Amino acid sequence: MPELPELNPVIHGKLRLALLSLLTGVEEAEFTWLRSKTGSTDGNLGAQLLKLEEAGYIAVKKKFVQRKPQTLYRMTEAGRRALTDYVVALKQLLGGAIGD
Amino acid sequence: MTGNAEELELKERLNLIETMIAEGRRTTASYGWIFVLWGVAYYVAIYLDSVLHFHLAWQVTMTSAAILTAILCMARSRSHPPTTTSRALGALWFGTGISMFIVLFSLGYSDRMDLRIFVAVICGMLGSVNAASSMILKWKLQFACALVWWATTVFACFGKGHHVMTVFLAAIFLCQIVFGISGMIREACARRQGADHA
Repeated sequence: MPELPELNPVIHGKLRLALLSLLTGVEEAEFTWLRSKTGSTDGNLGAQLLKLEEAGYIAVKKKFVQRKPQTLYRMTEAGRRALTDYVVALKQLLGGAIGD
Repeated sequence: MTGNAEELELKERLNLIETMIAEGRRTTASYGWIFVLWGVAYYVAIYLDSVLHFHLAWQVTMTSAAILTAILCMARSRSHPPTTTSRALGALWFGTGISMFIVLFSLGYSDRMDLRIFVAVICGMLGSVNAASSMILKWKLQFACALVWWATTVFACFGKGHHVMTVFLAAIFLCQIVFGISGMIREACARRQGADHA
């Protein structure tokens, strides 16, 4: 019997998965944009982004625009690979159930 | 039972990934208003030039339209993050804009500008950039606009003076105003769909 793949626990969290998926479609995104798309609170969003950053899946850039601080997030190559692997594992686990 | 619940949860994760990827891409596509803005700018320039005989009509109008576009795009980019597609399109239009500006400015100041050359150059360049953009966006209607611009270029080379201006005005109406409004409607529908799915 073939062994079933394990899902990456860093990505499996709903909000972290949503964040990584959002970042695949854009080059970089502001904290406020991610907050509006996920409907998350500042604290929770910051914590989940930090976990993704610590895992090396996203990179953070801080800058000032018109004297206001701006935090930009972008997906790293490792993040892209991890999400791809996660989707492959997910599809393997679901097997034939995907088309249902 | 547990197996079913797990399966549902995994499916939910897969749906979440698809929805979020689509959401990230969807919200960045909004170009219709730029076409309308530049269509109006062309009409204003033609009016100032032909009716009011303002010598710097094109230079002033085009520069103002370029500044206005840049300001609005910058304001918009704060709430909509850039995508590879938006950067490619931006580069394409920026490059074409600079080329048009240099050619037309030089033709104007060297006193070698004539209506046919002017229309042929503008429409030829607009045909190229619209065709390239339509291929990136897979937007058939925009490719139809490119064909209209190219047809206008050919007409400008062979047609009579006053007819050339009429055809140019019609091409602006079709490819800037009508196309821009249709783009805005398409984008509004896409946004509404996104809101429904959220």
